[in-house]
Amino acid sequence: MSVSFRTIDELESALRGADYLPDRGLSTALFLSLALEKPLLLEGEAGVGKTEAAKALATALEARLIRLQCYEGLDVAHAVYEWNYPRQLLHIRAAQEGTVSEEELFGPEFLIRRPLLEAIDSEGPVVLLIDEVDRADEEFEAFLLEVLSDFQITIPEIGTIRARRKPAVVLTSNRTRELHDALKRRALFHWIGHPSIEREIDIVKLRVPGIPARLAAEAAAFVRGLRGLDLAKPPGVAETIDWAHALAALGRQEIDAEVVEQTLGSVLKYREDIETVRDETLADLVSQARSAG
Amino acid sequence: MPSDPLLSHVVTFGRVLREVGVEVGPGRLQDALRGLDAVDLTAQDDVYWALRQTLVSRRDELELFDRAFAAWFLRAPVTAPLRSLPQPEAQSVSVARSEPTRTGEEGEEETDGDPLELGASPVELLREKDFAEMTPEEFKRARDLMSAIARLRPQRASRRRTADPRGDRLDIRRLVRRSLRTGGDPLDRPHRARKEVPRKLVVLCDVSGSMEAYTRALLLFLHAVVGSGRGVEAFAFGTRLSRLTPELGTRDPEAALERCTEAVVDWGSGTRIGASLKEFNDVWGRRALSRGAVVVVVSDGWERQDPDLVGREMARLARASYAVVWVNPLKGNPDYQPLAGGMRAALPFVDRFLPGHNLRSLEELAAVLAGIERRHAA
Repeated sequence: MSVSFRTIDELESALRGADYLPDRGLSTALFLSLALEKPLLLEGEAGVGKTEAAKALATALEARLIRLQCYEGLDVAHAVYEWNYPRQLLHIRAAQEGTVSEEELFGPEFLIRRPLLEAIDSEGPVVLLIDEVDRADEEFEAFLLEVLSDFQITIPEIGTIRARRKPAVVLTSNRTRELHDALKRRALFHWIGHPSIEREIDIVKLRVPGIPARLAAEAAAFVRGLRGLDLAKPPGVAETIDWAHALAALGRQEIDAEVVEQTLGSVLKYREDIETVRDETLADLVSQARSAG
Repeated sequence: MPSDPLLSHVVTFGRVLREVGVEVGPGRLQDALRGLDAVDLTAQDDVYWALRQTLVSRRDELELFDRAFAAWFLRAPVTAPLRSLPQPEAQSVSVARSEPTRTGEEGEEETDGDPLELGASPVELLREKDFAEMTPEEFKRARDLMSAIARLRPQRASRRRTADPRGDRLDIRRLVRRSLRTGGDPLDRPHRARKEVPRKLVVLCDVSGSMEAYTRALLLFLHAVVGSGRGVEAFAFGTRLSRLTPELGTRDPEAALERCTEAVVDWGSGTRIGASLKEFNDVWGRRALSRGAVVVVVSDGWERQDPDLVGREMARLARASYAVVWVNPLKGNPDYQPLAGGMRAALPFVDRFLPGHNLRSLEELAAVLAGIERRHAA
């Protein structure tokens, strides 16, 4: 890596420089992942900043972030490489009959490089983010395991491509299913919980520049109150930030029941949840948040 | 390199972890040592995180880890691991269970066995027999038949394609290569087709008191289903929800059943179907476990609390999943009417409503699962 960190504190301040406020656990996890050259598996509720952590790490390392978003049915053609068939066919057509060799046709210039190949075959430093790996099929997970242990990819027509430098790898999972033990063994594991109230206020202030301190504190306290309710989808930090943006844009100095009701849609994404947080519940939460802020 | 006292410290800690039930292999211990080598050993926080991130790989183990860490590094008093607690209770349940089954059975076979036995093979008889009335021997034979039934699984088309002359998509990679010989003219057209792979299957099994006569058989069936391949998740519920997938992954059916009884704290208790469904939706549905899955609820529908909650949570479940099947052993009785409040509230959201009281009904279930289509095309 062109940028490296000797201590956890060094990494932590670089992450802060990238507008990301990790807690000690996450900084340690990212630091160890770099020091031991092992992939880091991040799990946690939606919206606690798993993906953001990888982005911040890339900024801190001055590395390129390459992201592979996983989904059911993700295959090698979309994750690793694919041949550019139209160009190949046109190339055969354009050449005289019999003059195109197979090697030429399956050479690098006809190769479409997808995230995994990009990450392995990159010149500069790379952070490879494999997002929501639990959504990919198990067959794909097995393939991924191979790539992450050898850091090499074999293309039958070209040969084996080895990583010039091991990319930093961050995997995220929402735990829709258990991942393979083998994959877990290969990686360090960190569970990201919701941040403490102080940290969340700091995060809001950092991500919504110019927000009144009182508003930031009340917004964070209100969202924290929401997490204590029985909701279908409790809001994450991402929702707090969105909401604080909305409140700040409305020019508010603090929250009240009226503005909360108008803007609740940016915090709660389910109709049932919005209905749960109405009238008295809402008024209670607002007054608690105001006294806390 | 880490110093020797540190090495023995970490190795011993690994043993402590194993005792509380966190599996730690030598590879992980090595990572832990390398991790400690990279952090400041005088900072207790950093030591804690380095050990936790290298030695633990799943969220459910975090609590056990914390307890072990406190006991070993902070020298707090060691508390007994939670895992061994439910055992005595589970044993007494299984003893109580086997008794009535046997006595109720013997009278049965002599009185109304005659008309059916004429011309019917023993296997045929066994298939029709209510689980609640089986002898232990019959049960054993039934168990063997179950694994054959369980192999039928709902399928979905995978995104992956394999070479198949009758496929629906051109295999362009191959086509390009073959076109070389013909100067770029695609004379030969190889195809690829989608592979069928098993669809996710989630089973929620009621193990409350009113289901007692059937839970053993249904859990054995579940064991066979979990053994049929990946992508099966199994849960039990009475007053609360327990995930049984890891327990049912044990190869031997009896051993698996034993592990289930250890894992389920509220075996043979009352039923809170609505609350259990809610727990499932909140904890597992939110992580999209039910998305695209066929969900099978096995229950008699006796809700002790709030039938409305059952309706609401069934609606949520039906929205998230591909299809919902409700299996009710009581439906095996021809006179059965779904009068129980919970059952009535659930039915509007159920795609298929089936009995599950004998082998034949499980066959029917398997056939339904294999061919199930989404009711409301989304």
